[in-house]
Amino acid sequence: MKHDPTQVSANPAEALFPLDMGGADSAEPIPADPSHRAYVTTLFNRHRISLQRYLMRLVSPEDAAELVQESYYRLLRHGEMVRVDAMARSFLFQTATNLARDHHRRRASHRASLHVPLEDEEIVQDHLGPDEQLAGEQVRALLERAIAALPQDTRTVFLLHRFRDLTYPQIAEVMSLSARTVARKMAEAIERLSAAMSEAT
Amino acid sequence: MSASADDLQAAEWFAQARSAQRQPASEPAWLEWIEDDGHQRAYENCELAWELAAELRNTPRITALLAAADSLAAGRTASTFAARPKWRVPLRQIGLAASVVAVGAVAWLFLNRPATLEYATAVGEQHTVVLADGSSVLLNTDSLMRVEFSDHRRRIALLRGEALFSVSHDPSRPFEVRALQGVTTAVGTQFDVEITRAGAAVSVLEGTVTVGGAGIGTSAPAVAVAAGSGVGYSEDGGVSALRPAEVDRIQGWRTQRMVFNDIPLDTALTEYNRYTRTPIVLSDPALGSRHINGVFHIGDEAAFLSALDQGLHLKATRGDAQTVLQPQAGYHP
Repeated sequence: MKHDPTQVSANPAEALFPLDMGGADSAEPIPADPSHRAYVTTLFNRHRISLQRYLMRLVSPEDAAELVQESYYRLLRHGEMVRVDAMARSFLFQTATNLARDHHRRRASHRASLHVPLEDEEIVQDHLGPDEQLAGEQVRALLERAIAALPQDTRTVFLLHRFRDLTYPQIAEVMSLSARTVARKMAEAIERLSAAMSEAT
Repeated sequence: MSASADDLQAAEWFAQARSAQRQPASEPAWLEWIEDDGHQRAYENCELAWELAAELRNTPRITALLAAADSLAAGRTASTFAARPKWRVPLRQIGLAASVVAVGAVAWLFLNRPATLEYATAVGEQHTVVLADGSSVLLNTDSLMRVEFSDHRRRIALLRGEALFSVSHDPSRPFEVRALQGVTTAVGTQFDVEITRAGAAVSVLEGTVTVGGAGIGTSAPAVAVAAGSGVGYSEDGGVSALRPAEVDRIQGWRTQRMVFNDIPLDTALTEYNRYTRTPIVLSDPALGSRHINGVFHIGDEAAFLSALDQGLHLKATRGDAQTVLQPQAGYHP
């Protein structure tokens, strides 16, 4: 590892990514657009510490440091992105979370392929096992309870946005609410669920 | 525990960022806010809650809550439609009283001229499609689907491959999936339809669907299939007895995994080869009767071949068009 993963630097200067740093999968060409590169680098320098701290709640510190870098290369290769910082940060964290999820799965499937003796009567019971979940059972249960405990309309807004991918205006339409109310209920839902997350750690 | 001001602000910023509207006006305020370490920590909790919630999609509790949310939304939609512009009513009355030609014209108006959209995936690709009614479809590898929605019905034609449907509840608009000569009809549920070599297979994960014939020549009555069950039907309209839904296989593919639970190798390879352009074949068909166990990430050829090597002592030889498996030299089972 190139960083000491347990030390999350608070100094933005140390967070700078040299552009020529070789990534795990840097074999793929990185788009040359210098303005995209510059944007992604600025985005990273602003949110890297936060991202690494976030990833350390999902994977080991060593893996978190690695996934931070991998996320950076993903975004570099991704091409154009919306240059609104909060939205770009969402995209970055989502990308990193997906990488963490793949990481868990890869490990689980690797283990399955190594441990499960083929031609053996042993039945694979752990294929939905905890190792490929992003979070432990307790955190999941806490979050599930918090969702169930949301007021009905707030929960409906959250579920339709989260699992049905409806936009706020679409939710406003199907629930006969104003778009502003939908945004307010989303904020309320997120606030309560994030409280469950801060309890969890 | 009462929420701190940081937590409230974090949730508000988070909700605003997801409104999908560009908010360049608030950019300076955001950049100043997120600079603070305490604010970042509060915001991380929002992000964590949002991302981890995705993992709960299939738990029984969230599934039930989601169904309730769907029907709540559908119920309000129905009442919104009831209060639609009045001009529709006189048109409908005219339509009922009018000549055949006029009825045709009115029917055209009411049908809203359904828009037809097609979605396809390449070999090895999967894609989630969110439909206009909020239903979502996860298309598996090498699949083709046509979607035709109107005010009265939601029609899907699965032309190739496999799809998992999570249907928004709407009793006024049944959701019909046609595959070959059969139609699976649902109101709000989750089910999988796969076109196989032998016909089509339907598995129900949530709720109940009916499976019946669509072709004029098909007279088999519709079969009701509840959660946990499935049926198969052949191209000539024959419907199998009820059987268990292929829950493991479906939960596997939707999370990019193949679950092989003590099945013959040739069956496993047929499944594996759906996801690749360079299929794995056996040097000797007799090898196909050996059994295999394991969970594999779709697309992770190396892990799969290494398991075959270690477990079944089969050696892979990669060619341009296919990979051939043969027994390791000197190994005699």
